[in-house]
Amino acid sequence: MLFFRSEEMAKAWCEARGATIRPLVTMDQLWALSTRWYSTRLDPEGRRPTAEEMPAIFASIGLDDEHWNPKSDRFGP
Amino acid sequence: MAGVSKEGPMPTETDVQVKLAIYREFAETGRAPSCERVAGRAGLSTDRVRDAFQSLRSQRLLVVESDGASIRMAPPFSGVPTDHRVESGGVEYYANCAWDALGILAALKRPGLVRSRCAQSGEPLDLVVGENGPEPSTWLYHCLVPASRWWEDIVFT
Repeated sequence: MLFFRSEEMAKAWCEARGATIRPLVTMDQLWALSTRWYSTRLDPEGRRPTAEEMPAIFASIGLDDEHWNPKSDRFGP
Repeated sequence: MAGVSKEGPMPTETDVQVKLAIYREFAETGRAPSCERVAGRAGLSTDRVRDAFQSLRSQRLLVVESDGASIRMAPPFSGVPTDHRVESGGVEYYANCAWDALGILAALKRPGLVRSRCAQSGEPLDLVVGENGPEPSTWLYHCLVPASRWWEDIVFT
């Protein structure tokens, strides 16, 4: 989970590692995601969003690619 | 023993006490508290705090080192130095990743400055974040690991 100066820089980083480039996220999108994810974290009732809640959070900021689908992200031991 | 709901493991009262002790220490100092420090803040024994650490791990609110006591992550805060630093309210914080750098300011509900770099070129990033979000910026965020696999190795993620 890294910052890049441009799309070209992200592509170069992935190519150097033989990795597939994923959907890129703008700073405004990342802020929206951060507030939805973490704004209650310091509160007594604050918790991580569940796998069932995540798709709506991602979709609300335009992240509806399969990459953001947490379908197998289940709580385990 | 915590129960389980569709939201995942149900936090116990002790879990909440320990979680708040950890997160408030991070918020106030920017650094991870020791197990003893958490015990002192929460008014609990270190044995109960260690048990709560495991429960909070299952709720994906905490990552501890192999000793079961040293805090590595309480997302968005990092217990170890990283390349993603945040300055706010006169305190310096370390974030686990680029997302968590903004996440720290979202959690604190305070303006601040994110200091990081381009992972490819090394160009420094100084991103001013106000109460309503970051200043206009053309920088981008990239997450290599699919969401369904984040917690297979959360430190790598």
